[in-house]
Amino acid sequence: MRTEQEIRNFDIRNTITDNKVVSLWRLMSGYRGIYLTATLCLGIAAAFRSSTYLILGRFIDALVEKNNISGYIPWIAISFFVLSALQGLFTYISGRLAARTSEGITRRLRNFLFDHIQRLSFSYHDKTKTGELIQRTTSDVDAVRQFFADRAIGLGRIVLLFIVNLIVLLTLQARLALLSIIVVPLTVGLSLLFYKKVSATYDDYQDQEAVLSNTLQENLTGVRVVKAFARQEYESGKYDLENQKKFAKGKKFFTMHALFWPLSDILTGAQMLFGYYLGAMMAIQGDISIGTYLAYAGMMIWIIWPIRNLGRLIVEMSTGMVSYGRILDVIKEQREPLAAGEYTPPGPHVDGLIRFEGVSFAYDDHPVVLEDISFTCQPGQLIALLGGPGSGKTTLVNLLPRFYDYTAGCLTLDGVDLNTYPRSYLRDQIGVVEQEPFLFSRSIKENITYGVNWEVSDEEVFEASKAAAIHDVILGFKQGYDTLVGEKGVTLSGGQKQRVAIARTLLKNPRILILDDATSSVDTETEAEIHHALDKLMEGRTTFIIAHRIQSLMRADLILVLDDGRIIQKGVHLDLIKQPGKYQEIFDIQTKINSALQLELDQIA
Amino acid sequence: MTDTHRFEEEEFSGTFNGQIALRILKQVKPYTGWVIGFVFSIGLVSFLDSYFTLLSKRIIDEGIGAGNITILQDILIQYGLLIILQSAAVFGFIYLAGILGERVQYDLRKMMFDHLQKLSLAYYNKTPVGWIMSRVSSDSERVAQLVTWGFLDLIWGALNIITASYFMITINWRLGLIVFAIIPILIVVAAQFKKKVIVEYRQVRKINSKITGSYNENITGVRVTKAFSREARNMEEFSDLTEKMYQAGFRAAWLSALFLPLVMIISSFALGAVIWYGGLQAEIGGITIGGIQAFITYITFMIWPIQDLARVYAELQRSIASAERIYSLLDSQPDITNLPDSNDIKSLQGKIQFDRVSFQYEDGENVLRDFSLTIDKGETIALVGPTGGGKSTIVNLLCRFFEPQEGTILFNGQDYTHLTQESIQSKIGIVLQTPHLFSGSIEDNIRYGNLTASEDEIRSAAKLTGAHEFISTLEKSYQEEVGEGGNLLSVGQKQLVSLARAVLRKPDLFIMDEATSSVDTITEELIQIGMDHLMKDRTSIVIAHRLSTIRRADRILYIQEGSIGEMGSHSELLKKKGLYYRLYTQQFRQDKAQEFGSFSLISNQP
Repeated sequence: MRTEQEIRNFDIRNTITDNKVVSLWRLMSGYRGIYLTATLCLGIAAAFRSSTYLILGRFIDALVEKNNISGYIPWIAISFFVLSALQGLFTYISGRLAARTSEGITRRLRNFLFDHIQRLSFSYHDKTKTGELIQRTTSDVDAVRQFFADRAIGLGRIVLLFIVNLIVLLTLQARLALLSIIVVPLTVGLSLLFYKKVSATYDDYQDQEAVLSNTLQENLTGVRVVKAFARQEYESGKYDLENQKKFAKGKKFFTMHALFWPLSDILTGAQMLFGYYLGAMMAIQGDISIGTYLAYAGMMIWIIWPIRNLGRLIVEMSTGMVSYGRILDVIKEQREPLAAGEYTPPGPHVDGLIRFEGVSFAYDDHPVVLEDISFTCQPGQLIALLGGPGSGKTTLVNLLPRFYDYTAGCLTLDGVDLNTYPRSYLRDQIGVVEQEPFLFSRSIKENITYGVNWEVSDEEVFEASKAAAIHDVILGFKQGYDTLVGEKGVTLSGGQKQRVAIARTLLKNPRILILDDATSSVDTETEAEIHHALDKLMEGRTTFIIAHRIQSLMRADLILVLDDGRIIQKGVHLDLIKQPGKYQEIFDIQTKINSALQLELDQIA
Repeated sequence: MTDTHRFEEEEFSGTFNGQIALRILKQVKPYTGWVIGFVFSIGLVSFLDSYFTLLSKRIIDEGIGAGNITILQDILIQYGLLIILQSAAVFGFIYLAGILGERVQYDLRKMMFDHLQKLSLAYYNKTPVGWIMSRVSSDSERVAQLVTWGFLDLIWGALNIITASYFMITINWRLGLIVFAIIPILIVVAAQFKKKVIVEYRQVRKINSKITGSYNENITGVRVTKAFSREARNMEEFSDLTEKMYQAGFRAAWLSALFLPLVMIISSFALGAVIWYGGLQAEIGGITIGGIQAFITYITFMIWPIQDLARVYAELQRSIASAERIYSLLDSQPDITNLPDSNDIKSLQGKIQFDRVSFQYEDGENVLRDFSLTIDKGETIALVGPTGGGKSTIVNLLCRFFEPQEGTILFNGQDYTHLTQESIQSKIGIVLQTPHLFSGSIEDNIRYGNLTASEDEIRSAAKLTGAHEFISTLEKSYQEEVGEGGNLLSVGQKQLVSLARAVLRKPDLFIMDEATSSVDTITEELIQIGMDHLMKDRTSIVIAHRLSTIRRADRILYIQEGSIGEMGSHSELLKKKGLYYRLYTQQFRQDKAQEFGSFSLISNQP
């Protein structure tokens, strides 16, 4: 017997196979016992139902034979009642057990997906749309829940109903019983045929729904652009096109359903009539009693009904299967192993000696983004990166926390190959302040303490935000540090977000710091404040800074000028301004402005 | 700044009201033919189901009981033909309900999307995207379900009860009355149950929307999570949520599971009564054997819809609440509309005036007070000043994203509220600080500025704005996909693409709000040259922090606390030694200080 915890933390990757039925069976691991019991209970309930028909038959026979039945009647009525009660009881037990299974499996699935998604690689997230993942984690998961809540158990119930009633019928009249099930293979065949078609159209339909909601989402997030360009009509047209496609796909899906039902009804209807005819002829010829006919007619419905529903369930189950297939697509993606790494760092902190030797990087099969990068950074040094858009600055710093793994050359930290460090260890050592920082819909305080996994006192939080020059701004909000960020709370300006992100990184206290153009979106005064904050942050840490203004990076111990993924110049400020090249060019442009200003100031002075 | 931005989720009751019902009916009106078809089909199906029971009774009584094979065969042939008819009706109602649902959903989504395009930015500022998303996706689905399957359940249930009652009364009215006695009991039980279950399901939905929210942040914020190795703690928080969901979901499910057996037991009273009383009646010849059999079947017929009542009612309520939310979206009036007498403006090249304009956002933020300004044709204006001073508000008003509460804005002497929005906005090219791109190729995104532009025009716009250089290094060049929101490009690259997009538009009025803040110096220099050329005979408004951009302007406005603190050319303002002087000499001094700092740092090294 496995513990509750083990059952809950079942690794869903174990369910990956080509066969979806096998996958779903594996997904039930830990719940199979309960689920089988639930199905069995439904079978028992079915048996009680069949018994009612047997009793009914006996009752009618007694009635026809005009025996003295007045004494019987109350007993028959009471047994009817008792059987119904028992049937109800077992139906309830089964429902409860099925609920435990379906809710349990859903919880397991939700938890797993949540964790899985946050552990998938950067490359995966780069190419996957949010709307698509959301749909898989919500509506597809719900389809799987429904699959276990009614569909799969329905299948068990149908099989049991069929078997129980068939057995009873066989004991009642063997020939009749066998003649009542000739339609079974036909219905099953028809269902399987439709199952394939319905699955395909449903998959299509769901995909289109995702496309539609992505179109909407982009329109909503880009509303300012739409308005600024007065592109409302164009947008409506774009949406309408996808909307129409969805309508067409929905129509196809429902046409499939609409065709399936009547066809299966005609098949099962013919079977029923055939049964009535045979039964009635036998009764007329005296082969069976009228009571037996009645019991037969009653039970035959309970044989035909399951067959008819079998088809329906198979078709409906296809939606669960398709959805699970879509979930499996996500689950099949490789996780980024966080803890894996042969190297166990000796201490809690790295020194910060970083050496790039001919490092190259390319995303998957694409052309290289970084080529032959070589430089060394001593612990505590400040490294500055400079370059045009797409020159590879951000990609270079993204290699350090192993957001992406370098593809050629050699990159070491404290003399050890970076790829042998566990990712989680590296990320604890490295703090990143992004260009466009992301804040969560939580309170400001929770956002600042987001990166630390120990208890933080209010004083520490205040200190961090004071250092990031955001403390006074926060106190200006009505609810201070408890103010919610985002859609349900305040909208922070770019510079305010930036400073909250800096406070968040300050509190984390990393050994290596990456500042990716962290001050581009703030005004001059704020920029000065942030620089002040950053200076504090940089003390004693190995720091990588990406910036455009020479003033922000001239103090660096090493400046790397990048162009098209290569280092075209490296050195310190004083050397670089003497070399003809990009750096000098940039320096000249920028000093030109300052010297012009100086000139003007001199003139007015 | 205040935090009145908070968006309160309105509570929608979901109780039935005539107005909503009327609007929903109006929604379906264009498809009256389909509705009639599907109501007719479902009616036929239900009637035939009841009639089949009657036929089964006749098989027993007139066929078997009387030993008459001819009648038996006649009944069976009739039965068979009716099954075929019923199958046709089944096809009819599934098909019609299916396409009706899809069509209603299509219509609702189209209506909402088109309406959303009309709503002004004030609406977007106070309404979360997620809220709108779920109106358009899930609520429209639920209303579509209501007018098809929900409606179908109601009709089918009602018809089943009516036809079953009718046939029961005709077979034996006394027995029929006994059966009817259980109906009120069942309805009371169902109503009681409904209340409990609905409470549970409401809870489930509440937690569910939290779960969706968590997923959303987990996905969009995944880079931060990774950078802070926050995975384990996120998981802990999330599993608390799923644990709650499990508890609530399980409770709701087993409560529902309790309902069915309860109905079974109550209805077995009716069955027992039928046997008891029917048995006695049969003995004295009041009812036939087939009649008893028919009664038992009819009872099941009546119970199905009643047993389903709780579910149908709960769904009905949800759907009506959905409809209310949809209509609340459709009813929200755009703050800015074209006045009936408004006409198109031919050109924005001319004088632009702010005449004593006052403006305040709904939450009381960023006030513009009694602001007057005249911009001459072809002038370049730079706006500088502290964050929150009102620079972006001026731009927002000029683009008519918002309208002034007091005072007027005039183009060529015409009050712009008497001009059509489209004619104004189609002549403005704006580049925002946080550029938003749409999924698609780079070319598609630039073309957004002018849908009919040729490839050459797109390329020359890209060259002019310095975007061409990086684009040509990309694997697929102009066909490279930019990803959702342009996220496959860096911020600087996005800014260049959005600049090219605005340039392609060839606007009369050019507005740049921190448009090149993330671009490197060389590229910026390149852009400046291109833009100088472009802005030469265009009125332009530039918000920027960098001196390199500002000093080129004809006139610089220092904006603080909603009014003009200082105004003049770069050299005039420097001479004034006021706010502008302070701002830029301060920056300059800092630069110098850092320079000296670094000198000393370097000289200290061996």
